[in-house]
Amino acid sequence: MDEKIYNNTLLFLKFTATELLIPFDKISLNDEFRGLSTWSSLNALVYISRINEETSVLISSVELADLKTLNDIYNLISSKSNGAI
Amino acid sequence: MALSKTSGINIEGIVSLVPANINDNLLLTHLSQSDKEALIHHTGIRFRRVVNEENTSIKNLFIKGISNLLANLKWEKESIDILICVTQTPNVSIPAISCQIHGDLGFSSNTMCYDINLGCSGFVYGLHTLSALLSTLNKINARAILCCGDISTQLIQENDQSTKPIFSDAASVIAVSNNTETFSYFNLETNGSGQKAIYKEGNFMKLNGIDVFNYSLTMVPKNILNLLSFADKNIDLPNMFILHQANKLINEAIRKKLLLSETKTPSTLYEYGNTSSASIPLTLCKHWASETPNWVLFSGFGVGFSVASALIYLNNSIHLSIIET
Repeated sequence: MDEKIYNNTLLFLKFTATELLIPFDKISLNDEFRGLSTWSSLNALVYISRINEETSVLISSVELADLKTLNDIYNLISSKSNGAI
Repeated sequence: MALSKTSGINIEGIVSLVPANINDNLLLTHLSQSDKEALIHHTGIRFRRVVNEENTSIKNLFIKGISNLLANLKWEKESIDILICVTQTPNVSIPAISCQIHGDLGFSSNTMCYDINLGCSGFVYGLHTLSALLSTLNKINARAILCCGDISTQLIQENDQSTKPIFSDAASVIAVSNNTETFSYFNLETNGSGQKAIYKEGNFMKLNGIDVFNYSLTMVPKNILNLLSFADKNIDLPNMFILHQANKLINEAIRKKLLLSETKTPSTLYEYGNTSSASIPLTLCKHWASETPNWVLFSGFGVGFSVASALIYLNNSIHLSIIET
């Protein structure tokens, strides 16, 4: 299987660090994304759009509201993508 | 989906009106310089037009546009069979703004008037309504005027950083006649579960950016592909795809999903922002430069959640102008 951000946590974290402009060594799956220094309504939208571009997965505002950590986002993308874990 | 084939229309002319007053997203307060640059990069919007105190009503912009367009086309008011206004920001809601304009400009009592309450999909819905109505009139050279636009900035809270950098004021007035030699094709859809993606609460507009993105990406590409299939036309046929100018994130995502080139999907976001139902005709005014008649595909999407696309055969001799007022 090709390595995608929905089936490789390391790739997902690298992707997230790049999109949210956070050093890779300062980010972990257990981080609460709303607490990240660069999280904002604009950056959230950009992040969601980039996830869609990479995986074709769309995350709604209702789904996002139920999530807390980056790991939650990873699991949602994985469950909604064709390469579900 | 509501797929519709109507007898053809000629878009004879479009006048778009933008307030001369320009707001610059680089001068927004409450944001750092880097945040403002990121905002412009991702939304594609640098400048917004905002009405001043003297012409704060959409009706005034419509009247200026109608007067200018009729003069340029040398159309007499008495020759207009239909006048339709598409807006969500009428100066007063009763009577219909089209009836107010009818009275103010002295149109004939034979002119049919009504309003359509839609936002970003409104231009295409209005065009479909005119197209369908024109074909039913017992007249060879029937003529119609469509007015589209909003004073969206009057619905924006001063400190709302999600709507303020996006929306801009503008109006477009479109002159249409019937053309029995071609056909026009439409795909008109609604998903009311998205009614809270953009809505008014109290005096102000609220926008959920993620939901607008999701509804747009879920509905618009399919709507366009289904329209082309219904019309039995290839996606390579339209000379131009003029999308509602929502923001760069959404428009680019739609463009990439449909594998369209940048040259076929012109944008006016940088200089005019999101101008609601005026954005498609405004972009046509800015970028239509075909030397021969050609097919063009319009797609409007937004508040509702409402999506409408049209495949129209356009003349190369359309009167197009953008007026600062």
